[in-house]
Amino acid sequence: MLKVEINRTLSGFKLDVAFSVNGEVLGILGPSGSGKTMTLLCIAGLIHPDKGFIQLNDRVLFDSSRKVNLPPKDRNVGFVFQNYALFPHLSAGKNIAYGIRNRSREEVNHRVQVLIKNMDLDGLQNRYPQQLSAGQQQRVAVARALAPEPEILLLDEPFSALDSLTKEQLEMQILDLRQFYKGHIILVTHDLAEAYRLSSRIAVYDAGKIAQCDLKEKLISSPVNQKVARITRFRNFMDGVITDIKDKQVSVTVPGLGTNVRVAANGHRNLALNQHITLGVRSEHIQSVTSPGQNTFQGILSSSVENLASINCYFDLKTNSDNCYRLEAAFPKAVAPSLSDGMSYYLYLPPEQMVIITN
Amino acid sequence: MNEYLSPLWISLKTVLVTTAITFVLGIAAARWMSRYKGKFKPVIDGAFILPLVLPPTVVGFGLLLSMGKHGWIGKFLALFHTSVVFSWPATVIAAAVMSFPLMYMTTRGAFEQVDINIEDAARTLGAGEWKVLYSVTLPMAWPGVLAGTILSFARSLGEFGATLMLAGNIPGKTTTIPVAIYFAIVDGNMKEADILIIIVLCIALASLALLAYLKKPKPRDRGLIAANTVSSDILSAGRKGDTRPG
Repeated sequence: MLKVEINRTLSGFKLDVAFSVNGEVLGILGPSGSGKTMTLLCIAGLIHPDKGFIQLNDRVLFDSSRKVNLPPKDRNVGFVFQNYALFPHLSAGKNIAYGIRNRSREEVNHRVQVLIKNMDLDGLQNRYPQQLSAGQQQRVAVARALAPEPEILLLDEPFSALDSLTKEQLEMQILDLRQFYKGHIILVTHDLAEAYRLSSRIAVYDAGKIAQCDLKEKLISSPVNQKVARITRFRNFMDGVITDIKDKQVSVTVPGLGTNVRVAANGHRNLALNQHITLGVRSEHIQSVTSPGQNTFQGILSSSVENLASINCYFDLKTNSDNCYRLEAAFPKAVAPSLSDGMSYYLYLPPEQMVIITN
Repeated sequence: MNEYLSPLWISLKTVLVTTAITFVLGIAAARWMSRYKGKFKPVIDGAFILPLVLPPTVVGFGLLLSMGKHGWIGKFLALFHTSVVFSWPATVIAAAVMSFPLMYMTTRGAFEQVDINIEDAARTLGAGEWKVLYSVTLPMAWPGVLAGTILSFARSLGEFGATLMLAGNIPGKTTTIPVAIYFAIVDGNMKEADILIIIVLCIALASLALLAYLKKPKPRDRGLIAANTVSSDILSAGRKGDTRPG
């Protein structure tokens, strides 16, 4: 179990986070400059928090109140840097062997061979980092970090420098890693899809604070605020007032829309009548239907962008006031209606798929 | 022959000892300053480089004052009944002070080019500061360190002004080649001057050749490799023990 509580103030930035990891992959998700990498550097001991407490399994790595501060070399933390930071003057094999200590030469060789096999680096042992592709460099970096058998593996945006095909292959490799590496893993990324595929829990960082830390399924189904909703790819928001709560079905009056929007309470327990809330809808959950009905609103298509498998459409909803709502909908190509700009369409917002954001 | 061999022998001794001293001190100072972020950085940096921008005679005069009978170093040495002024160690001190800035500046520049992430990676892999220095920073900065060493070697071989001020011209004791050349010419002894000049030229060309040899391309540089050429890499040859426990 890794327990982290850190506090670090720089001019114009304050990192203040607390979380724990226990035998799982924790994804840290957030925009650039939100303190993700700084958190990893604090855990590895490469920079020091002003205040806080870091415990890895049964060892206290840092405790400002008791003046404990282990140097990085004694922390037993594996770190994969964003640029991999391989030793350019050592071959791949020697890079991997660098951190293995107190072993005989045979044991070192054996461990290197096992890692080379596990990380799919056969035949590359004598190459220097400059002679490896980006994907191979990344696998050497992971093998090198795992070689001393660290209690936790920290991955700092390990896929950001790779093309999408290599990235997919390496993601599979990181998933496979769990078969032979049983320690904790923290993955820092700014890519929601990547965090979702690779981790079990996700902590969303926003300006040096954790906005939400939840199981990934919970995170994407009930974001606690609009920031988290935006980071987890909710594209459409409408402010409204709760006018009715019945059987876990909530009616929300959205100014300008003729009829109330129905939405499922989805785990919210403290909703009250007349409460101001925000509704969030993902673009891929909006459906185009042929006739008016419940939760169906008329929208004028203003523009559309064709993607590989879907079409992103931007609709302006018809309102009876000055409010205007622009909805982004992504229709799979197979079911997309015939689209032409300026035409009116009926858009259905499924009550089960919408989220209520209370603050 | 003694008039040629004696300056050559004194110069070689002086240059080798000086280069060893500036190598160690230059690396230590460069290591410290390349990561030092304090507010005195420009002051310390300036102090280290000062001998390079001052006329050698001024540096020599300063050394003479501080190491002479009434200087603070001189008084301290007097406690042990020794004195360095006008003795062979003075040639080393003068050459070391004059060549230190070149070693320091070149090495610091090379150290600052080393990606701090790579040094940090070594730290997370269990390396202490010494191991980081000799197994990562120095090998990565090696071309710069080498250039600094050759530059300071050449500078101390050519050292004249400060040496003359602090060590004087005592034949067989403190007369280095540059000092001997100067006095040979002053005395109109052109044959002696010519031979000494040829000796200096040979040493200079030999050190350039050595530099070129040490900087020859490594198999790790971009391009195709034969996997087993690694052992010929002079850098890895000195570091074969790395993968052993320790």
